[in-house]
Amino acid sequence: MNPVTRERLLGFQHAFDDRVTVVLTLTVLILLLLTPLLIFIVTRVANSTRDKRKELWDRYRSWIWLALFILIPILAGAFWTILAVATLSFLCYREYARITGLFRERTISLIVVIGILLITFSVLDNWYRLFVALFPLTVALIASGGLIPDQPKGYIQRVGLGLLGFALFGSALGHLGYMANDWNYRPIVLLIICAVELNDIFAYICGHVFGHRKFVPNTSPNKTVGGALGAIVLTTPLVALGAHFVWSSTVLDTPVRLLGLGIIVSVVGQFGDLMLSSIKRDLGLKDTAKLIPGHGGILDRFDSLILVAPAVFHYVNYFVGFAAGQPQKIFGG
Amino acid sequence: MESWNLQPARDTGLTPSERFRSVRRESGLLESLAHHFSFTVLRIYLAVAHRFQIIGWQHLPAHGPFIVAANHCSHLDALCLVAALKPRHRERAFPIAAGDVFFQTKAVSVFSAIVLNALPMWRKNCGTHALADLRCKLEEEKCIYVIFPEGSRSRDGRMAHFKHGLGMLVAETQVPVVPSFIAGTFEALPPHRKIPHPARIKIAIGAPLDFAATPNNREGWSQIAQSVESSVRNLATH
Repeated sequence: MNPVTRERLLGFQHAFDDRVTVVLTLTVLILLLLTPLLIFIVTRVANSTRDKRKELWDRYRSWIWLALFILIPILAGAFWTILAVATLSFLCYREYARITGLFRERTISLIVVIGILLITFSVLDNWYRLFVALFPLTVALIASGGLIPDQPKGYIQRVGLGLLGFALFGSALGHLGYMANDWNYRPIVLLIICAVELNDIFAYICGHVFGHRKFVPNTSPNKTVGGALGAIVLTTPLVALGAHFVWSSTVLDTPVRLLGLGIIVSVVGQFGDLMLSSIKRDLGLKDTAKLIPGHGGILDRFDSLILVAPAVFHYVNYFVGFAAGQPQKIFGG
Repeated sequence: MESWNLQPARDTGLTPSERFRSVRRESGLLESLAHHFSFTVLRIYLAVAHRFQIIGWQHLPAHGPFIVAANHCSHLDALCLVAALKPRHRERAFPIAAGDVFFQTKAVSVFSAIVLNALPMWRKNCGTHALADLRCKLEEEKCIYVIFPEGSRSRDGRMAHFKHGLGMLVAETQVPVVPSFIAGTFEALPPHRKIPHPARIKIAIGAPLDFAATPNNREGWSQIAQSVESSVRNLATH
C-alpha cells in the first residue's frame, strides 16, 4: 500500500487539515454543549409535562452518542469512515428486513448482506469499476437466489423487497462511503451529514412556525408546505457556503452550481424522509425499531441521508470527480 | 400475483432488552448463525467430554412443530437435547427455560437468547397467557420446543411427576410430543455442582405421541402429562 493511501485510510493526524472540518466539528460540539441549557430554558418557559421533558433529554443523550459515532470515525481516517458507513448500511438493512418481514427469506437476506460486504470491499479498495458493477450483479444474484426455494408464489415480493433493500442500503449508502476515497473527504462527508440533519431540524421548526398547508397528509400528516420550503431556503445557502470552501477554485465553485448542490441536499433529503414515512405507513408502524431512545430506530434517524448520498456523489462527480489522484485497487494492485 | 403475505417481525417495537426476554422474539440471520454455531460446538463438546450417545434418532419428526419432553436433573439437559436435534431443526429450536434463572439479568438473558435460543417461562405468577403465547407461537412459526414438564431440576436424580403445562400446549393440536429420557447428566452436573464432570451421557428418544383427540381442558392436560411421563419412564428402562 502506498504511503499516501495509508495516510488517507488511517492518518488521524490529518483530521483538522481542512478548516471546514474544524468549523463543522466545533459547531457540532458547541451545539451539543448549548443544548442542555436550551432544553432547560424551553421546558421552564413552556412549563412542559414530565413526559415531554424526559423525551427531550432522551433525545439529547442519544444525540451525544450519535455525534460521537459519526465524528470519531470521520476524523480518525477513511478506513474507519468506510467501516462506519458499512455498519450503518447493515443496521439499516436489518431494521428494514425486520419490519418488512424479508428477514424470514434467509437466502435473499444473505445475498443482500454479501452484496453490502462486497460494496464495502470495493469502496475500501477504491475500485470504482467493481463498485459500479456490483449493482447489476447483485440484482442478478438476488433474482437468481429467489429461485432457490422453488416457490414461485411470493417471488416478486421477496425479490422486489430484496432489490429495494440492496439499492437503498447497499448501493445508495455505499456512495457515502465512496466519498472517503477523496483525499479531502472529511469536510465533504461531515458537510453532507450535518446539512441533512439540519435540513430535518429546519423542516421541523419551519413547519411549526409557518406551517398551515399540509404537504402530503396521507404519507406524513405533520409535514407542511411551509416546513418543506423553509428547509430549502435555510439549508441551500448553508450547503453552498460550506461547499464553496471545500471545492474552492474548482469548476463547481460558481454560485449557480453551489446553490444547485444545496437544493439537491435539501430536496432529496426530504424525499428520503418521506420515503421512510411511506414504508412505515404501508406497514402500519410508527417507528422502525426502539433502538435509540427518543428517536426510534437507526432508519428513523438516517432516512434522509440514504437518497442524498448518491445524488450528491454524482453531482459532484460530474463536475470535479471524487478520489482524483488516489491510487485505485489498493489491495488488488 | 399473491396478496402480500410478508409481515413485520413479531418483536417489532420492543427495546433490545425487552426483545431478548420476549416470547415474540424472532431470530435474524446473525442470531440464527449464532445458534447453529453454538449447537455445533455443544455437540462436539458432548461427544468428546461425555461420549454422547443418542438412541432412537429416527423418531425425530422431519420438520417442526413438535415438542421434545424429557426428565430434568441438570443444566446440561437442555444443552444435550438441542445438540441432539437435526441441523435443520436448529433455527427453530427453543429450549423453554426458567425465567428466574436464565432471564434474570440483562447479560444472562442476552446469553440465553443468542447462544441457547431459549424462551423464558416465569415459574411464579406466569398465568395462562404465557402458555397461550407459547402455544400460538408453536403452531404459527412451526417451532420445536424443548420442555421439562417436571418444572424444575430433580435434586436427587429421581424423576418427579409431570405437570399440566405441557398438556396446555398440545391438547387438540396436530403438534406431536417426542418423549426422551436423558441418563448421565445427573452424574455429570448435578444441581449442587458448578463444573461438569466427564460422565457418559445417553439420550433415548421415543416414538412421537399425538394428542389431537385429547380435549383441551384440565382432564385432557393431566391425561397428556401422564401419558408422556409413562413414555419417558419406559424409555428409562432401555
